[in-house]
Amino acid sequence: MPLDGEPAPARADPDEASRSWPISARLALMFAATAVAIFTLMGAALYRVLDRELDHYQSEQMQGRLADLRYLLEHGRSPQLASRATAKMEDMERSDPHTRYWLWSADPRYRYGDDAERLAREVDPDGRIRVVPDAAGQESYAMLGAQLPANDVRPAVQLMIGMDAGAIAGTLRNFRTALMALTLAAALLVAALGYWIAVIGLKPLKQLSAEAQRIGRNRGGERLRLPVLPAELLDLAASFNAALDRLNTAYQQLETFNADVAHELRTPVANMIGQTQVVLSRSRGVPELREVLQSNLEELERLRGIVADMLFLARAEQGERAHDLVAVSLAGEMGKIVDFFDMVLDDAGMRVQVQGDAQVRVQTPLLRRALSNLLQNAIQHSLGSRLISVRISLRDGAMAELAISNASDPISSEQLRHLFDRFYRVDDARHNSGESHGLGLAIVKAIAAMHAGDVLVSQANGLVTITLRLPVAASPP
Amino acid sequence: MKVLIIEDERKIADYLYQGLTEQGWTVDVAHDGIDGQHLAVHYDFDVIVLDVMLPGLNGFDILRSLRAVKGTPVIMLTARDGLDDRVRGLREGADDYLVKPFSFIELQARLQALTRRGRAQEQTLLRVGDLAIDLIRRKVTRAGQRIDLTAKEFALLELLARRQGEILSKTAIAELVWDMHFDSNTNVVEVAVKRLRAKVDLPFGTPLLHTIRGMGYTLEERDAT
Repeated sequence: MPLDGEPAPARADPDEASRSWPISARLALMFAATAVAIFTLMGAALYRVLDRELDHYQSEQMQGRLADLRYLLEHGRSPQLASRATAKMEDMERSDPHTRYWLWSADPRYRYGDDAERLAREVDPDGRIRVVPDAAGQESYAMLGAQLPANDVRPAVQLMIGMDAGAIAGTLRNFRTALMALTLAAALLVAALGYWIAVIGLKPLKQLSAEAQRIGRNRGGERLRLPVLPAELLDLAASFNAALDRLNTAYQQLETFNADVAHELRTPVANMIGQTQVVLSRSRGVPELREVLQSNLEELERLRGIVADMLFLARAEQGERAHDLVAVSLAGEMGKIVDFFDMVLDDAGMRVQVQGDAQVRVQTPLLRRALSNLLQNAIQHSLGSRLISVRISLRDGAMAELAISNASDPISSEQLRHLFDRFYRVDDARHNSGESHGLGLAIVKAIAAMHAGDVLVSQANGLVTITLRLPVAASPP
Repeated sequence: MKVLIIEDERKIADYLYQGLTEQGWTVDVAHDGIDGQHLAVHYDFDVIVLDVMLPGLNGFDILRSLRAVKGTPVIMLTARDGLDDRVRGLREGADDYLVKPFSFIELQARLQALTRRGRAQEQTLLRVGDLAIDLIRRKVTRAGQRIDLTAKEFALLELLARRQGEILSKTAIAELVWDMHFDSNTNVVEVAVKRLRAKVDLPFGTPLLHTIRGMGYTLEERDAT
């Protein structure tokens, strides 16, 4: 029995646990991944900005320094212009050892600095900074150059300035390292904080779990207490409670069903045992023995009938569907059943009136069985009016309805609700009446379900109406 | 009439043997598929009762090897009332089937129907004691006295008279007279028999229509009850 489980709540098996991470760890990991992604993007952007700014700054500095020399070379009219310029360059180099100057020209007097000829070729002619390695290839310079056309006192010259590139590269390198370290630290911090937040955030789940564990210790109508839960979990808890309701109903049905079956079977078995004991307690003649065997056979037939019906219901409940479907006229089939019951109706002084018609796709023997059970039920429970009315109609185009009404004493709504339950009888006194064993309407319901239809019952103006709904047969192609 | 029963369940085979022997059949029993196949193929029977689930060879195998050589009527006993076995049995040449557990009356009726099917001699007048049923003019007389019956009453009487001495279950009667092929827990057959009895038996003293409690009804002339 499903609800009779061990008291200990079922633990997820360890394999399962290793495959699916705890939510808090997953959240922490996702936070960390997000942090790394964002910081990396920001770091990259900052790095680029810094790189550009440094470039810009360097370029301005170099342009400023070049301006002096340019002025001298462009406007100087002295015949010693070449030596004045190189001397100034020397001075400037001495005052700032990180900056170097070169001068190149076809005229050997206007030359300054090592390797000037090579550098003159490599420097950018458009005045942009270019990093150029020195002759030894050990250091590199961020270089700017300027072309000065020839004038009346000197030939065309190329003036160049270089700043030690290492300093700026070092700054950038340090910046990068710092960024990476910071990103890593921030990610770890975010992960830790995220974990903490997740643990706090998931506390209601723990509560829910504790609530769930409380339930079922002592069987009863216990449910999760909704007010203790945050809004997000209300749905879950409500669904869970609804599932518990359904289980509870099913369980109760099963319990009463078992009791009913036991009761139903007990009576014929007890009858047979009693009769057999009585007849065997003395020596009897053949007619008496035959009488008991015949009586036993009747009881056994009844048992067989109950068992066969219960098997039928069980198969329907396990989802067996009707097969060999054919299109038939509901009125036609009802007519055959009325014909079958003709003598019984005649004896009871009753009449059946069938109105309307619809085509349905059914397994004919099942439909006949359902209709027969419905009619028999109507005959058995008719009181007052001697007319049983059957109305057949279409509903929404997809379903056909057959409503069978008979006059009846008022039935309580509680009784109506259980009308299609197995072994349910509105009138307890009819118990063991021999003819029916309270499965007739349950079988009607099962047959409806096997055809994807349903049954309902209503009561009005002293009439009880049972409606059988079946899918309509598609119009013939 | 010779019948072969191929059935491995001893209890069933035993009561079938006793019941059918007492009803005047000559009965052979095989308890497994191999014996069963041997008997069925090499000897002649009027009808064969064949269980599907058998040790050795199953019922379908036996049916196939039997149908390869002759057309002896076969009634299959299927354990489940799963549709597949029934359909398969009929498709492979069985003439009828019964779903286990079945009632003895039912089997007897089917056996008689199968063996009767072979010799179709159409009678026009049925007689049971002093009861005469004219099937063509649809008239019933007893001791020379005309009895008026409704169509259904006539159909019921005709069925009982055609199978006089045979016990017909309520299920069989509902099937054959009203074409209602389902387990109905109705008292329709009882009511019909009561009415028929009121017309055919009551005015004449000696009853011909007998109720066999727990089994069904039979029409026959009896010396003493």
